Amino acid sequence: MTTQNDRLLLNAYIDGELDPEHALEFERRLADNAALANERRRIEALRAAIGERLPREPASLTLRRRVAALVRPRFPDWRTGWPAMAASVAIAFAAGTLATLVAIGPGVREPVPELLVASHVRSLMASQPVDVSSSDRHTVKPWFNGKLPQSPRVVDLAAQGFSLVGGRIDVIGLTPAPTLVYRVRQHVISLTALPASDRAAAPIRPIDGYNVAEWTDGPLVYWAVSDVAVSELDNFAKAFRAGEAQP
Amino acid sequence: MDREDSKTRFANVVMPYLDDAYGLARWVTGNRADAEDVVQEACLRAFRGIGGFAGGNGRAWLLTIVRNAAYDWLRKNRPAAVVHVDDLEAVERAQLTGAEPAGDNPEAALIARADEAKLEGAIASLPAVFRDTLVLRDVQGLDYREIAAITGVPIGTVMSRLARARGRVIAMLGADK
Repeated sequence: MTTQNDRLLLNAYIDGELDPEHALEFERRLADNAALANERRRIEALRAAIGERLPREPASLTLRRRVAALVRPRFPDWRTGWPAMAASVAIAFAAGTLATLVAIGPGVREPVPELLVASHVRSLMASQPVDVSSSDRHTVKPWFNGKLPQSPRVVDLAAQGFSLVGGRIDVIGLTPAPTLVYRVRQHVISLTALPASDRAAAPIRPIDGYNVAEWTDGPLVYWAVSDVAVSELDNFAKAFRAGEAQP
Repeated sequence: MDREDSKTRFANVVMPYLDDAYGLARWVTGNRADAEDVVQEACLRAFRGIGGFAGGNGRAWLLTIVRNAAYDWLRKNRPAAVVHVDDLEAVERAQLTGAEPAGDNPEAALIARADEAKLEGAIASLPAVFRDTLVLRDVQGLDYREIAAITGVPIGTVMSRLARARGRVIAMLGADK
Protein backbone atom coordinates (compact mmCIF):
# COMPACT_ATOMS: atom_id res chain seq x y z
CA MET A 1 0.00 0.00 0.00
CA THR A 2 1.47 3.30 -1.09
CA THR A 3 -0.07 6.55 0.01
CA GLN A 4 0.27 9.82 -1.81
CA ASN A 5 2.48 11.10 0.98
CA ASP A 6 4.79 8.10 0.60
CA ARG A 7 5.11 8.92 -3.07
CA LEU A 8 6.14 12.49 -2.39
CA LEU A 9 8.72 11.33 0.14
CA LEU A 10 9.94 8.64 -2.24
CA ASN A 11 10.50 11.17 -5.04
CA ALA A 12 12.25 13.56 -2.66
CA TYR A 13 14.37 10.69 -1.35
CA ILE A 14 15.45 9.70 -4.86
CA ASP A 15 16.27 13.34 -5.65
CA GLY A 16 18.41 13.66 -2.53
CA GLU A 17 16.11 16.31 -1.13
CA LEU A 18 15.42 14.70 2.26
CA ASP A 19 17.57 15.69 5.20
CA PRO A 20 19.72 12.84 6.59
CA GLU A 21 17.37 12.05 9.45
CA HIS A 22 14.28 11.75 7.25
CA ALA A 23 16.26 9.89 4.62
CA LEU A 24 17.26 7.22 7.14
CA GLU A 25 13.74 6.92 8.39
CA PHE A 26 12.48 6.59 4.85
CA GLU A 27 15.05 3.90 4.04
CA ARG A 28 13.65 1.82 6.88
CA ARG A 29 10.15 2.17 5.38
CA LEU A 30 11.50 1.20 1.96
CA ALA A 31 13.06 -1.95 3.41
CA ASP A 32 9.76 -3.41 4.52
CA ASN A 33 7.37 -2.04 1.90
CA ALA A 34 7.62 -3.99 -1.35
CA ALA A 35 5.22 -1.72 -3.25
CA LEU A 36 7.28 1.33 -2.35
CA ALA A 37 10.51 -0.43 -3.30
CA ASN A 38 9.03 -1.32 -6.71
CA GLU A 39 7.92 2.25 -7.22
CA ARG A 40 11.45 3.34 -6.45
CA ARG A 41 12.84 1.04 -9.15
CA ARG A 42 10.36 2.42 -11.69
CA ILE A 43 11.25 6.04 -10.93
CA GLU A 44 14.97 5.29 -11.07
CA ALA A 45 14.48 3.45 -14.37
CA LEU A 46 12.62 6.48 -15.72
CA ARG A 47 15.35 8.86 -14.61
CA ALA A 48 18.01 6.67 -16.15
CA ALA A 49 16.08 6.41 -19.43
CA ILE A 50 15.63 10.19 -19.56
CA GLY A 51 19.29 10.75 -18.80
CA GLU A 52 20.51 8.26 -21.39
CA ARG A 53 18.05 8.48 -24.23
CA LEU A 54 15.92 11.60 -24.22
CA PRO A 55 17.21 13.70 -27.13
CA ARG A 56 18.72 16.99 -26.08
CA GLU A 57 19.00 19.74 -28.59
CA PRO A 58 21.29 22.71 -28.10
CA ALA A 59 20.32 26.22 -29.14
CA SER A 60 21.00 26.61 -32.85
CA LEU A 61 23.64 28.90 -34.24
CA THR A 62 20.83 30.98 -35.72
CA LEU A 63 19.25 31.46 -32.31
CA ARG A 64 22.61 32.32 -30.76
CA ARG A 65 23.08 34.96 -33.40
CA ARG A 66 19.58 36.33 -32.97
CA VAL A 67 20.15 36.69 -29.26
CA ALA A 68 23.62 38.16 -29.68
CA ALA A 69 22.13 40.67 -32.12
CA LEU A 70 19.71 41.91 -29.45
CA VAL A 71 22.47 43.60 -27.53
CA ARG A 72 24.42 44.90 -30.46
CA PRO A 73 23.87 48.60 -31.02
CA ARG A 74 23.32 48.06 -34.70
CA PHE A 75 19.87 49.59 -34.61
CA PRO A 76 19.20 53.15 -33.51
CA ASP A 77 16.51 51.94 -31.12
CA TRP A 78 17.65 48.59 -29.77
CA ARG A 79 14.42 48.20 -27.79
CA THR A 80 12.59 47.36 -30.97
CA GLY A 81 14.77 44.25 -31.05
CA TRP A 82 13.59 41.50 -33.34
CA PRO A 83 11.12 43.50 -35.47
CA ALA A 84 13.92 45.89 -36.38
CA MET A 85 16.26 43.04 -37.15
CA ALA A 86 13.56 41.31 -39.20
CA ALA A 87 13.02 44.52 -41.10
CA SER A 88 16.70 44.90 -41.86
CA VAL A 89 16.87 41.28 -43.00
CA ALA A 90 13.82 41.87 -45.20
CA ILE A 91 15.53 44.91 -46.69
CA ALA A 92 18.70 42.93 -47.29
CA PHE A 93 16.60 40.27 -49.04
CA ALA A 94 14.80 42.86 -51.09
CA ALA A 95 18.12 44.40 -52.03
CA GLY A 96 19.47 40.98 -52.98
CA THR A 97 16.47 40.12 -55.12
CA LEU A 98 16.50 43.48 -56.82
CA ALA A 99 20.21 43.22 -57.45
CA THR A 100 19.76 39.80 -59.05
CA LEU A 101 17.09 41.18 -61.33
CA VAL A 102 19.37 44.04 -62.27
CA ALA A 103 22.32 41.73 -62.73
CA ILE A 104 20.63 39.64 -65.39
CA GLY A 105 19.68 42.71 -67.42
CA PRO A 106 22.10 43.38 -70.30
CA GLY A 107 24.94 45.78 -69.75
CA VAL A 108 24.13 46.53 -66.13
CA ARG A 109 26.94 46.19 -63.59
CA GLU A 110 26.23 43.76 -60.78
CA PRO A 111 26.21 45.33 -57.36
CA VAL A 112 28.37 42.48 -56.07
CA PRO A 113 28.76 43.67 -52.46
CA GLU A 114 24.98 43.82 -51.97
CA LEU A 115 24.63 40.31 -53.36
CA LEU A 116 27.32 39.09 -50.97
CA VAL A 117 25.60 40.70 -47.99
CA ALA A 118 22.30 39.09 -49.04
CA SER A 119 24.02 35.67 -49.27
CA HIS A 120 25.59 36.21 -45.86
CA VAL A 121 22.24 37.11 -44.27
CA ARG A 122 20.52 34.18 -45.95
CA SER A 123 23.17 31.81 -44.61
CA LEU A 124 22.61 33.12 -41.08
CA MET A 125 18.92 32.33 -41.34
CA ALA A 126 19.57 28.76 -42.40
CA SER A 127 20.07 26.18 -39.69
CA GLN A 128 23.72 25.91 -40.75
CA PRO A 129 25.69 28.68 -42.47
CA VAL A 130 27.81 26.06 -44.24
CA ASP A 131 27.35 23.05 -46.52
CA VAL A 132 30.56 21.40 -45.39
CA SER A 133 31.17 21.75 -41.71
CA SER A 134 34.75 21.35 -40.57
CA SER A 135 37.40 23.30 -38.75
CA ASP A 136 40.05 21.42 -40.71
CA ARG A 137 41.17 23.21 -43.86
CA HIS A 138 42.31 19.89 -45.30
CA THR A 139 38.66 18.84 -45.28
CA VAL A 140 37.20 22.10 -46.49
CA LYS A 141 39.46 22.76 -49.43
CA PRO A 142 39.04 19.37 -51.13
CA TRP A 143 35.27 19.73 -50.76
CA PHE A 144 35.39 22.62 -53.22
CA ASN A 145 37.54 20.72 -55.70
CA GLY A 146 35.40 19.16 -58.38
CA LYS A 147 32.49 21.43 -57.58
CA LEU A 148 34.12 24.61 -58.83
CA PRO A 149 36.85 25.37 -61.36
CA GLN A 150 38.70 27.51 -58.85
CA SER A 151 39.01 26.63 -55.19
CA PRO A 152 39.92 29.33 -52.70
CA ARG A 153 42.87 29.56 -50.37
CA VAL A 154 41.87 28.04 -47.04
CA VAL A 155 43.89 29.50 -44.20
CA ASP A 156 43.95 28.30 -40.62
CA LEU A 157 43.45 31.40 -38.46
CA ALA A 158 42.56 29.72 -35.18
CA ALA A 159 45.67 31.18 -33.55
CA GLN A 160 44.45 34.67 -34.45
CA GLY A 161 41.02 34.00 -32.94
CA PHE A 162 39.13 33.23 -36.15
CA SER A 163 38.04 29.63 -36.21
CA LEU A 164 37.11 27.92 -39.46
CA VAL A 165 33.50 26.70 -39.45
CA GLY A 166 33.32 25.28 -42.97
CA GLY A 167 32.37 26.29 -46.49
CA ARG A 168 29.48 26.66 -48.88
CA ILE A 169 28.88 27.68 -52.48
CA ASP A 170 27.08 30.97 -53.03
CA VAL A 171 25.70 32.06 -56.34
CA ILE A 172 26.64 35.69 -56.88
CA GLY A 173 24.74 37.08 -59.84
CA LEU A 174 25.04 33.99 -62.01
CA THR A 175 28.50 32.95 -60.82
CA PRO A 176 28.90 30.06 -58.36
CA ALA A 177 31.51 31.17 -55.84
CA PRO A 178 33.27 29.34 -53.00
CA THR A 179 32.59 30.85 -49.59
CA LEU A 180 34.51 30.07 -46.42
CA VAL A 181 32.90 30.67 -43.06
CA TYR A 182 34.90 31.71 -40.03
CA ARG A 183 33.68 32.51 -36.56
CA VAL A 184 35.03 34.92 -34.00
CA ARG A 185 33.23 34.79 -30.65
CA GLN A 186 29.52 34.86 -31.59
CA HIS A 187 30.14 36.49 -34.96
CA VAL A 188 30.23 34.84 -38.35
CA ILE A 189 32.44 36.00 -41.21
CA SER A 190 31.61 34.92 -44.77
CA LEU A 191 34.60 35.01 -47.10
CA THR A 192 33.77 34.65 -50.79
CA ALA A 193 36.23 34.35 -53.69
CA LEU A 194 35.25 35.75 -57.10
CA PRO A 195 37.20 36.24 -60.32
CA ALA A 196 39.19 39.46 -60.09
CA SER A 197 38.24 42.41 -62.26
CA ASP A 198 40.46 45.34 -63.22
CA ARG A 199 38.66 47.56 -60.73
CA ALA A 200 40.74 48.62 -57.72
CA ALA A 201 39.63 47.21 -54.38
CA ALA A 202 37.64 49.66 -52.25
CA PRO A 203 38.24 50.15 -48.52
CA ILE A 204 36.05 48.44 -45.89
CA ARG A 205 32.54 49.88 -45.97
CA PRO A 206 29.16 49.27 -44.35
CA ILE A 207 26.32 47.83 -46.43
CA ASP A 208 22.91 47.20 -44.88
CA GLY A 209 24.41 47.10 -41.41
CA TYR A 210 27.22 44.69 -42.30
CA ASN A 211 30.86 45.52 -42.95
CA VAL A 212 32.32 44.45 -46.26
CA ALA A 213 36.04 44.15 -46.99
CA GLU A 214 37.65 43.21 -50.31
CA TRP A 215 41.16 42.50 -51.53
CA THR A 216 42.67 41.10 -54.69
CA ASP A 217 44.94 38.08 -54.68
CA GLY A 218 46.14 37.02 -58.13
CA PRO A 219 43.20 35.89 -60.24
CA LEU A 220 40.74 36.16 -57.39
CA VAL A 221 39.15 38.93 -55.40
CA TYR A 222 38.22 38.00 -51.84
CA TRP A 223 35.19 39.52 -50.15
CA ALA A 224 34.64 39.32 -46.39
CA VAL A 225 31.19 40.12 -44.98
CA SER A 226 30.41 40.25 -41.27
CA ASP A 227 28.84 42.24 -38.48
CA VAL A 228 32.16 42.50 -36.59
CA ALA A 229 33.65 45.96 -36.19
CA VAL A 230 35.66 47.48 -39.06
CA SER A 231 38.92 47.12 -37.13
CA GLU A 232 38.29 43.44 -36.46
CA LEU A 233 37.33 42.73 -40.06
CA ASP A 234 40.51 44.52 -41.10
CA ASN A 235 42.50 42.28 -38.74
CA PHE A 236 40.83 39.27 -40.26
CA ALA A 237 41.67 40.42 -43.79
CA LYS A 238 45.30 41.08 -42.85
CA ALA A 239 45.62 37.73 -41.07
CA PHE A 240 44.11 35.89 -44.01
CA ARG A 241 46.38 37.61 -46.53
CA ALA A 242 49.42 36.95 -44.39
CA GLY A 243 48.36 33.40 -43.62
CA GLU A 244 49.90 30.38 -45.13
CA ALA A 245 47.76 28.83 -47.82
CA GLN A 246 47.23 25.14 -47.99
CA PRO A 247 49.68 23.77 -50.52
CA MET B 1 24.08 50.76 -15.51
CA ASP B 2 25.18 51.88 -18.95
CA ARG B 3 24.80 49.91 -22.13
CA GLU B 4 28.33 48.49 -22.08
CA ASP B 5 27.86 47.18 -18.52
CA SER B 6 24.55 45.66 -19.53
CA LYS B 7 26.18 43.97 -22.50
CA THR B 8 28.94 42.52 -20.34
CA ARG B 9 26.48 41.23 -17.76
CA PHE B 10 24.27 39.81 -20.47
CA ALA B 11 27.25 37.98 -21.96
CA ASN B 12 28.12 36.51 -18.55
CA VAL B 13 24.67 35.82 -17.12
CA VAL B 14 22.51 34.95 -20.12
CA MET B 15 24.64 33.61 -22.96
CA PRO B 16 26.09 30.63 -21.05
CA TYR B 17 22.57 29.27 -20.41
CA LEU B 18 21.11 29.63 -23.87
CA ASP B 19 20.95 25.85 -24.34
CA ASP B 20 18.98 25.45 -21.11
CA ALA B 21 16.70 28.32 -22.09
CA TYR B 22 16.05 26.78 -25.48
CA GLY B 23 15.53 23.31 -24.00
CA LEU B 24 12.85 24.56 -21.60
CA ALA B 25 11.14 26.69 -24.26
CA ARG B 26 11.08 23.73 -26.61
CA TRP B 27 9.38 21.51 -24.09
CA VAL B 28 6.79 24.18 -23.29
CA THR B 29 5.99 25.24 -26.87
CA GLY B 30 6.50 21.82 -28.42
CA ASN B 31 8.39 22.99 -31.49
CA ARG B 32 11.65 24.59 -32.58
CA ALA B 33 10.51 27.74 -34.32
CA ASP B 34 8.22 28.90 -31.52
CA ALA B 35 10.82 27.95 -28.92
CA GLU B 36 13.37 30.16 -30.67
CA ASP B 37 10.92 33.08 -30.72
CA VAL B 38 10.19 32.56 -27.03
CA VAL B 39 13.90 32.48 -26.16
CA GLN B 40 14.48 35.61 -28.20
CA GLU B 41 11.65 37.40 -26.41
CA ALA B 42 12.89 36.16 -23.02
CA CYS B 43 16.44 37.31 -23.75
CA LEU B 44 15.17 40.73 -24.70
CA ARG B 45 13.33 40.89 -21.35
CA ALA B 46 16.46 39.64 -19.61
CA PHE B 47 18.59 42.30 -21.27
CA ARG B 48 16.19 45.05 -20.25
CA GLY B 49 16.04 43.74 -16.72
CA ILE B 50 19.68 42.81 -16.30
CA GLY B 51 20.32 45.83 -14.07
CA GLY B 52 17.91 44.27 -11.58
CA PHE B 53 19.66 40.90 -11.50
CA ALA B 54 21.01 40.65 -7.97
CA GLY B 55 23.78 38.20 -8.83
CA GLY B 56 23.90 34.56 -7.85
CA ASN B 57 22.13 31.93 -9.90
CA GLY B 58 22.03 33.26 -13.47
CA ARG B 59 20.64 30.03 -14.81
CA ALA B 60 17.59 30.01 -12.54
CA TRP B 61 17.09 33.72 -13.17
CA LEU B 62 17.10 33.26 -16.94
CA LEU B 63 14.89 30.14 -16.79
CA THR B 64 12.32 32.06 -14.74
CA ILE B 65 12.11 34.67 -17.49
CA VAL B 66 12.03 32.00 -20.21
CA ARG B 67 9.22 30.14 -18.47
CA ASN B 68 7.18 33.33 -18.12
CA ALA B 69 7.71 34.18 -21.78
CA ALA B 70 6.82 30.62 -22.77
CA TYR B 71 3.60 30.70 -20.75
CA ASP B 72 2.69 34.07 -22.27
CA TRP B 73 3.14 32.38 -25.61
CA LEU B 74 1.03 29.38 -24.54
CA ARG B 75 -1.80 31.57 -23.27
CA LYS B 76 -1.83 33.45 -26.54
CA ASN B 77 -1.38 30.56 -28.95
CA ARG B 78 -2.51 27.41 -27.12
CA PRO B 79 -5.00 28.62 -24.51
CA ALA B 80 -6.38 25.11 -24.11
CA ALA B 81 -2.96 23.88 -22.95
CA VAL B 82 -2.99 26.17 -19.92
CA VAL B 83 -5.52 24.31 -17.83
CA HIS B 84 -6.28 26.02 -14.60
CA VAL B 85 -3.77 24.46 -12.25
CA ASP B 86 -6.16 24.28 -9.29
CA ASP B 87 -8.68 22.32 -11.35
CA LEU B 88 -5.99 19.98 -12.53
CA GLU B 89 -4.63 19.31 -9.09
CA ALA B 90 -8.10 18.77 -7.64
CA VAL B 91 -8.76 16.12 -10.27
CA GLU B 92 -5.40 14.51 -9.59
CA ARG B 93 -6.02 14.47 -5.85
CA ALA B 94 -9.39 12.82 -6.34
CA GLN B 95 -7.79 10.15 -8.50
CA LEU B 96 -4.82 9.52 -6.31
CA THR B 97 -6.38 9.51 -2.88
CA GLY B 98 -5.53 6.37 -1.02
CA ALA B 99 -4.31 3.30 -2.82
CA GLU B 100 -2.59 3.11 -6.15
CA PRO B 101 -4.67 1.81 -9.04
CA ALA B 102 -4.46 -1.97 -9.06
CA GLY B 103 -2.70 -3.77 -11.91
CA ASP B 104 -1.18 -0.57 -13.20
CA ASN B 105 2.36 -1.08 -12.08
CA PRO B 106 4.67 -1.79 -14.97
CA GLU B 107 7.96 -3.56 -14.42
CA ALA B 108 10.92 -1.27 -13.91
CA ALA B 109 12.68 -3.15 -16.73
CA LEU B 110 9.95 -2.08 -19.15
CA ILE B 111 10.44 1.57 -18.18
CA ALA B 112 14.19 1.20 -18.53
CA ARG B 113 13.77 -0.08 -22.09
CA ALA B 114 11.49 2.72 -23.32
CA ASP B 115 12.88 4.11 -26.55
CA GLU B 116 13.47 7.80 -27.13
CA ALA B 117 10.32 8.43 -29.19
CA LYS B 118 8.07 6.88 -26.54
CA LEU B 119 9.83 8.77 -23.80
CA GLU B 120 9.56 12.06 -25.64
CA GLY B 121 5.91 11.43 -26.51
CA ALA B 122 4.96 10.56 -22.95
CA ILE B 123 6.62 13.68 -21.51
CA ALA B 124 5.20 15.87 -24.27
CA SER B 125 1.67 14.68 -23.48
CA LEU B 126 1.85 15.83 -19.83
CA PRO B 127 -0.12 18.92 -18.80
CA ALA B 128 2.15 21.98 -19.04
CA VAL B 129 2.83 22.53 -15.33
CA PHE B 130 3.68 18.88 -14.73
CA ARG B 131 5.83 18.75 -17.82
CA ASP B 132 7.98 21.75 -17.02
CA THR B 133 8.51 20.61 -13.43
CA LEU B 134 9.70 17.22 -14.70
CA VAL B 135 11.89 18.80 -17.39
CA LEU B 136 13.52 21.21 -14.92
CA ARG B 137 14.31 18.34 -12.57
CA ASP B 138 15.03 15.28 -14.72
CA VAL B 139 16.28 16.88 -17.92
CA GLN B 140 17.95 20.03 -16.62
CA GLY B 141 18.93 18.76 -13.18
CA LEU B 142 17.75 21.68 -11.05
CA ASP B 143 17.01 21.13 -7.36
CA TYR B 144 13.59 21.62 -5.71
CA ARG B 145 14.42 25.04 -4.36
CA GLU B 146 15.45 26.34 -7.80
CA ILE B 147 12.37 24.80 -9.42
CA ALA B 148 10.14 26.40 -6.78
CA ALA B 149 11.70 29.79 -7.53
CA ILE B 150 11.41 29.36 -11.31
CA THR B 151 7.82 28.15 -11.28
CA GLY B 152 6.73 30.50 -8.49
CA VAL B 153 5.21 27.86 -6.20
CA PRO B 154 6.11 26.40 -2.76
CA ILE B 155 8.49 23.43 -2.58
CA GLY B 156 5.60 21.19 -1.51
CA THR B 157 3.85 21.93 -4.79
CA VAL B 158 7.02 21.14 -6.73
CA MET B 159 7.14 17.78 -4.93
CA SER B 160 3.56 16.88 -5.74
CA ARG B 161 3.82 18.01 -9.37
CA LEU B 162 7.01 16.05 -9.84
CA ALA B 163 5.55 12.90 -8.25
CA ARG B 164 2.47 13.14 -10.47
CA ALA B 165 4.46 13.91 -13.60
CA ARG B 166 6.71 10.90 -13.08
CA GLY B 167 3.75 8.71 -12.14
CA ARG B 168 1.94 9.63 -15.34
CA VAL B 169 4.97 9.07 -17.57
CA ILE B 170 5.60 5.68 -15.94
CA ALA B 171 1.95 4.68 -16.43
CA MET B 172 2.11 5.72 -20.11
CA LEU B 173 5.32 3.83 -20.78
CA GLY B 174 3.96 0.79 -18.96
CA ALA B 175 0.66 0.81 -20.85
CA ASP B 176 2.44 0.88 -24.18
CA LYS B 177 3.86 -2.60 -24.51
